[in-house]
Amino acid sequence: MKNNGNMTTLLKGILVENPVLVLILGTCPTLATTTNVAGAFGMGIAALVVLVCSNILISLLRKIIPDNVRIPCYIVIIAGFVTMVQMIVQAFFPALYEMLGVYLALITVNCIILGRAEMFASKNSVGKSALDGIGMGLGFTLALCAMAVIREVFGNASFAGMPIPFFEPFKIAFLVKAPGGMLVYGLLIALVSAVTRGKAPAKTEFSCEGCPSAGNCHTGLCQAKGEEL
Amino acid sequence: MKNSVKSTLVLVCICAVMALMLAVTNAITAPIIEKNQSAAANEALLQVMPGGQGFEKMDISGYTLPATVTEAYKEANGGYVFTLQTTGYSSGLVIMCGVNADGTVSGATCLSSTETLGYEKTFGDNFNGKNSDGVDAVDTISGATKTTGAYRAAVKDALNAAIILGGGSVDLRTEEEILNDNLSAALPAGEGKFTKLFIVEVIEGIDAVYTADNGKGAVCIVGEQFVAVDEAGAVITDAPADISANVAAQMAVLNAATTTDIDLTQYEGLPSACLSAKKTATGNYILEMRGAGYGINGGDDYHPASGEYIYIRVSMTADGKIIDCLTTSQAETANIGSVCGEESFYGQFVGKTESDYNEIDAISGATLTTNGYKKAIERAFTSVKILEGGATHEE
Amino acid sequence: MDLMKSLIVILLSSVLVNNYVLSRFLGICPFLGVSKKLDQATGMGVSVTAVMLLATAVTWPIQHLLLDRVGLGYMQTIIFILVIAALVQMLELILKRFFPALHKNLGVYLPLITTNCAVLGVAINNITDGYSFLESIVSSLGCGLGFLLAMVLFSGMRSRIDETNIPKPFRGLAVTLIAASFISLAFMGFAGVVDALFA
Repeated sequence: MKNNGNMTTLLKGILVENPVLVLILGTCPTLATTTNVAGAFGMGIAALVVLVCSNILISLLRKIIPDNVRIPCYIVIIAGFVTMVQMIVQAFFPALYEMLGVYLALITVNCIILGRAEMFASKNSVGKSALDGIGMGLGFTLALCAMAVIREVFGNASFAGMPIPFFEPFKIAFLVKAPGGMLVYGLLIALVSAVTRGKAPAKTEFSCEGCPSAGNCHTGLCQAKGEEL
Repeated sequence: MKNSVKSTLVLVCICAVMALMLAVTNAITAPIIEKNQSAAANEALLQVMPGGQGFEKMDISGYTLPATVTEAYKEANGGYVFTLQTTGYSSGLVIMCGVNADGTVSGATCLSSTETLGYEKTFGDNFNGKNSDGVDAVDTISGATKTTGAYRAAVKDALNAAIILGGGSVDLRTEEEILNDNLSAALPAGEGKFTKLFIVEVIEGIDAVYTADNGKGAVCIVGEQFVAVDEAGAVITDAPADISANVAAQMAVLNAATTTDIDLTQYEGLPSACLSAKKTATGNYILEMRGAGYGINGGDDYHPASGEYIYIRVSMTADGKIIDCLTTSQAETANIGSVCGEESFYGQFVGKTESDYNEIDAISGATLTTNGYKKAIERAFTSVKILEGGATHEE
Repeated sequence: MDLMKSLIVILLSSVLVNNYVLSRFLGICPFLGVSKKLDQATGMGVSVTAVMLLATAVTWPIQHLLLDRVGLGYMQTIIFILVIAALVQMLELILKRFFPALHKNLGVYLPLITTNCAVLGVAINNITDGYSFLESIVSSLGCGLGFLLAMVLFSGMRSRIDETNIPKPFRGLAVTLIAASFISLAFMGFAGVVDALFA
């Protein structure tokens, strides 16, 4: 039973509660870094590492961190891990660093990570938080890669930077441009919604679940806050 | 109160711990990042110096290098790589050029440019393995003379810069600067400003005379020697006695020269290209001629279309030998026909007569300009003959 | 004169050509989330512009006068996000205390801004692009105005969408994103315009 629970924690991030396609979190990197499969994969893994590390640390410190300064604490922890990942990527994967640019630093404000810190890691054990981080990170990576495959193969006739032979004349350059990203994202969300109809949590409105201020937010702007976890 | 103290303390602690972790990560990754970045920079350097190793950026602020050099890298085997910024057809032609330890070009490439024709992209290949003379011998590409000429000059600058950085010295002065320096050395009173004197008398044993703009004397060039003369005509340079004597004598002739204006209306059949004329007491003529430039129909000034004239001053003996020649103004195409305004061209006419003036080589790429110029000189000979023949109109 | 020209180029290109939302994908979350009504969109846009300006005015000196001097450039992200969070808090307190009317209108958007990646993005980009202080301020003003423009235009579009009958799988965010794609497509037409204006 316990194992089963852990399994659910891990898997829900990949499928039913996919952060990108179902919870609609972390939209900025999803759109910005999916013009190249390699970049998308790198972005996904970088976010996964940050997510797991920050989830573990925040879960460890959850009894120590006072409630009133928890958001600044989370931000510092996350920003710290992001910077570390940034330095490691720059040192060992300079090509990826060039490709991701400012979006690597912007993992700091990726709603997925703050959201998981606030909604999960601060309430659950270290092990579960780590699993949640891995699950959500994998879900994020998979969704990014799916987007990137569509955009790069059809938009640029290449895969992870390697040109696909004979495909060149048929490429739709629009897809790797900004509007193409939004269009593909919109279509993917519609597809997932059509396939998982009734199973996935119904999302009729944009969610503020990941917003760290959702708990204090009584404005009515955030209608879907406080999802059952 | 206690609560907020605790909160602040926790936040500060977390900040400190994260900062510490960052510092550790930074200490580990910073050297690798730096190595990566220098490796990336080296890639560009390797393009112009294949096989080069251990490039190190130099501080060039302490050297006097050609003005085009913006960056210099020293290579472990004694070579150098330079980034040079020059102006071809338009500004912003940036060239990277490698120089081997033996002073030959290891490679040259264009880093960025705003040229129109794109010759700069491959032109650098012509310099591979060339030494200084070899670089001079590389032909510019006709139609892209400015781009390729500037490119060649930049490569030459790189070679010179390598010599300077290697401890040698190179004369970076242009020919004019060298001449001016020599003149100033001979006559310090001239304060560095000299003008070539237009010679109107036949003089012997002197190649050229430069007068100081401030009137404090003149310098005569006799072969390799610069002989200065003061306002009174006395030689002040310590030169061999025969040269000094000759210079003093010739300068006296030049200083004594007087001219009278000739009324051209008194003569029939004078070419209209002869605008005005003077005669010296010794019987020489000084003519102001007008030549047809490139834009004027086929180089013939009788059918002026849209172009500009070339104005030429010629001094000539009564029997038709050119004493001196000078282009006083011209508006030919820059760097092509405009060569007619340079001493290297008009100086060739000195000493010529009607029988051999035509042997002078045409300016490359500017046949019409040359033709117009020679036509004007031909008319100068005609004019002198008519003027010598005496006035045809009696008052 | 050249300074003026370069500032105008920076301003126009960050509003139109390199619009943060529509071509650089920064600040997408509030763009999609708070653009349902015109007044909400305007409020959010104005607040973001104000925070961007403030954040740049504070982070630029911190980076150049403090972090770079002591070789702590790698603390950039942590310091910047803390500064932005603190600024947002302070701005909210000040508005609440001295301009209650304004706070009533804009206050609700402020907590959402801390995690708006456009704000951190502007602060970091101004550093990496090597802008001077003045250029940085103009660039953040441009980015904020660009954000406001995108929000306002998009809220108009969304009010039209609400009146139409959309196939079920597309309802909600899917159709919103596709609409956003069209408005981004329209903004692609600005590419090259600013350069051409001053060529």
